[in-house]
Amino acid sequence: MTKLVQIAGYLGSGKTTVIIAIGKGLSETGVKVAIIVNDAGAIPVDGRVMQQYGLTVKDIGGGCICCQVAGNLLKTLDVLAGGLKPDIIFVEPTGMAVPHSIRENVKYGAAKANITIGPTIVLFDATRREKLLTYDTLKRLITTQLSDADIIALSKVDLVSEGDIERSREAVRQINPKARVVKLSTRTGEGIPDLVHAIEEMTIPA
Amino acid sequence: MKDFIHLTGRRNPAHDEIHGYGVMCRLSREETVSPEELRIFVARLMNDISAACFTYGAKDIGHVKAYIEHKTGFLYADTVGDPSDVTVEGRDGEPLSHFTLTVNSVIYGLSEAAVKEATDASLRSLLLTFRLVREADTAQSLGTDR
Repeated sequence: MTKLVQIAGYLGSGKTTVIIAIGKGLSETGVKVAIIVNDAGAIPVDGRVMQQYGLTVKDIGGGCICCQVAGNLLKTLDVLAGGLKPDIIFVEPTGMAVPHSIRENVKYGAAKANITIGPTIVLFDATRREKLLTYDTLKRLITTQLSDADIIALSKVDLVSEGDIERSREAVRQINPKARVVKLSTRTGEGIPDLVHAIEEMTIPA
Repeated sequence: MKDFIHLTGRRNPAHDEIHGYGVMCRLSREETVSPEELRIFVARLMNDISAACFTYGAKDIGHVKAYIEHKTGFLYADTVGDPSDVTVEGRDGEPLSHFTLTVNSVIYGLSEAAVKEATDASLRSLLLTFRLVREADTAQSLGTDR
């Protein structure tokens, strides 16, 4: 059975980089990985970069998969799970996407496509804590994204002080006290084994 | 596929105030561009675009990304607006005279027209500095959607 893992988070939080790191690592151990990318931007970039690293990627355009083209996500899942039969499908939504909308939409088609739902991992850029939680509409979006997380990964922790990390941890805990919080740096590799372990272990009831 | 139809269509209001612009073009130069110079070019492009967006009134840089592809390698660059934190990764190839550049700017608190102007003006200026010629645009598009 294929497990679907959503790696969400605001624009520039490091989603593509972490998927490349985890995807490559899992592939090297024999796990069959596929990635669905919904790039925010008129001309896609992320999918091409992932392909350069040898990963199997399906790029969905035409709008955001949490709302405008949710149906295209289900069609793509159906095709991937039925054809390639990967062990894990990573979904990288746009940085503006609302994770629970994607999860709800996926649940709708998961049983039919023989897919289990893994954790929703939401990245929070620890270098931009204040900015992300300042502007009204932006704060609303970030708060929604964090509230939907099973795991919150504080990204780019190698670029900030321990004090800043703790302030970010506190801020995200206030928004979502239930989520597991992990420190993440794709430069040093910190947190990657924790995320891999969680991806392998966690299954969310349908 | 009938089941899926009812899920499509509306745009989430959370996307308000976030606008984007993308351009893909083919660039060339008579004398070859070294891998080191290509990295410097794309890093400067990221910084120049994000600085221009702030000058135009952006509240925050969502992301500015670039992807360079050529016969022997590729580069991927991005920034969220901090000049000291521009990432450039990829596989350096041989010195080259042609390459394809894709730029994708998604900005919070700036109109689509302003994101386009900031991106295009920064690119035009940097092409002059590096004596690069913009041969043709493969694609150009406003918005955060394709």
